[in-house]
Amino acid sequence: MSSTSRVIEQIKQSIVEGDDVAAKAAAEKALAEGLAPVDILNSGIVPGIETTGQLWADGTYFMPDVILSAEAFKAASSVIEPLLKAGDAPKRGKVALGVVAGDMHNLGITIVMTMLRGAGFDVEHMGIDVPVATFIAKAKSGDVDILGMGAYMTTTMLVMKEVIEGLKKEKLRDKVKVMVGGVPLSQEYADEIGADAWGKDALDAVVKAKQVMGVS
Amino acid sequence: MGMMESAIQGLLYAQGSYQGELDPMARMMATIAGKPDRPPIAAQMHDHAMYLAGVPAKKFYYDAPIFFNTMLSVFMYYGMDIAIFFGDVYNFEAEALGAKMIYGEDSMPTIDFTEPLIKEHKDLLKLKTPDFYKDGRMPYELEIMKLNAQMGFGLGIFCAPFSLAVAMRSYPLLIRDMRRDPKFAHELFTFIVDEVLIPFLKVQQKETGAAFAFGADAWAAFPNLTPDMAEEWHLPYAKRLKDAAASFGMFATAAGCMDYCEERLEKFNPAIVRRCFDLFAQVIGMPMAFLGMGRWHDYDLKVVRDWAVEHGGARGTTPIMAGVNARLVHDGPVSKIVEVVKRYMDVLGRDGRLFGFLVNISADTPPEHVHAAIAAFHQYGRYPIAENLDKIKFEMPKFIPYAEFAKMMAGG
Repeated sequence: MSSTSRVIEQIKQSIVEGDDVAAKAAAEKALAEGLAPVDILNSGIVPGIETTGQLWADGTYFMPDVILSAEAFKAASSVIEPLLKAGDAPKRGKVALGVVAGDMHNLGITIVMTMLRGAGFDVEHMGIDVPVATFIAKAKSGDVDILGMGAYMTTTMLVMKEVIEGLKKEKLRDKVKVMVGGVPLSQEYADEIGADAWGKDALDAVVKAKQVMGVS
Repeated sequence: MGMMESAIQGLLYAQGSYQGELDPMARMMATIAGKPDRPPIAAQMHDHAMYLAGVPAKKFYYDAPIFFNTMLSVFMYYGMDIAIFFGDVYNFEAEALGAKMIYGEDSMPTIDFTEPLIKEHKDLLKLKTPDFYKDGRMPYELEIMKLNAQMGFGLGIFCAPFSLAVAMRSYPLLIRDMRRDPKFAHELFTFIVDEVLIPFLKVQQKETGAAFAFGADAWAAFPNLTPDMAEEWHLPYAKRLKDAAASFGMFATAAGCMDYCEERLEKFNPAIVRRCFDLFAQVIGMPMAFLGMGRWHDYDLKVVRDWAVEHGGARGTTPIMAGVNARLVHDGPVSKIVEVVKRYMDVLGRDGRLFGFLVNISADTPPEHVHAAIAAFHQYGRYPIAENLDKIKFEMPKFIPYAEFAKMMAGG
């Protein structure tokens, strides 16, 4: 195995094993060895998180493994992201994600964000406790294809409806796709409030994001 | 009738020596003994009660009498049996220790997990046992416990060690500690049990006389926590807490831990379900099948039935806490809710040890759906259970809006 292959394999393996320190170090080593950031991303970082997703889907990995992998993915990505040039990474669409007002549960949205990035989406994290007006302003900016909302409490999930109604009032509803997710939600609730898609978990969110964008 | 008298009446009913009506406590005891008239019904419903009664969150989660009276009123509206009058039980200890909170206008207070109380390991050293009479909303929580005790529902409540560790450290950081720095993680769990929960339980016992205390532990559900991790991290501290509480005459245990909550049906794994039940039994000290937040309306119930029979001994099955999923009760329709309850009674309820449990009823759940779930337990759960439940036609009870009920109760 060449040195290049070895360091790429180290990046991938560190992400799969959820070792953020090793993942960051391997990404730095790859850069020092002269690898292009886009190659590090496409050959090491993305395959790493994809493997984790697969291990989770087939029941080998559980939530703690996925969480640690996501942290390692973020650590490796943080090394190369500032160096990526526009157009380097494939972009399947721009997603703005936020946890609705009154809700501070950021765990789910962090994993969704990681998986979407791994799948080639350009993801902006709007944060937690995001007011209705901020979601609407984001849609109004025209700088987003999918508005993603997370809610993890049965009182705060009601805020999603307010956002969608606000989008309709501002005549923005057909300008942006709306995806929702979170523990208390269901497909029925997503339909009831008029969302375009519900992601039952992070991998499902990737599938649904591709569907609403019409990409494979 | 006093609680003790009711309890004895329930046991006599189960033996066939008493034929009269059962009150909720008697029904609960008869269920534990395996021969009630019908399953007792419990629910987690604080957000729902607040929403249904139209009480502002800024009052409900800060004013103990308002909280308690609202819960009591909604409890009576639905005709439930087992009172669980507690609200944001995952917050109080962390809040009293100094965790950053968000106090939403329309929602329950919540911990800001983006800025955990323990950002770095050295932060643990700065923490001290809270003053349970002053810090955070502890006075509110203690007052709720006292109100419960005055009504005869004297029960202690706390945030169980694993869930409190998440509240203080955040889930990703805690998992990282458990894998990479187990020494620190053990120090954290030890602090939680010895310096927070044991002193808190002593205060609860002193103020309310509670002999039993249950620890909310949703963060310790599967797959947040795997069975292997639960064995290594959950059991030792559950035992440490239980032993310490026993030394001053209190039974304290985590509840709801290892609750099987796999969302993807294709990943439903009977072997893991069984391990979750085994671990839960070790934590609480008796075998009991706990069906909580998971998709039990979709899962195969045979694994539950088999486990409950294997561990049930002479009474047929173990006790079974038959949770009805919150999203099902929210989304309905009524026919689907009724079918699920009917299936519970058919597959799991025939030995008389089933508790009906409406899990975390969401804020805007239509009250008709809640009434339907309870009525289904009443109609299909009449003992002895009919051989063919399809022959029983479900009848939706006459619906009275909550506002009308509340007006009647107020004498209007």
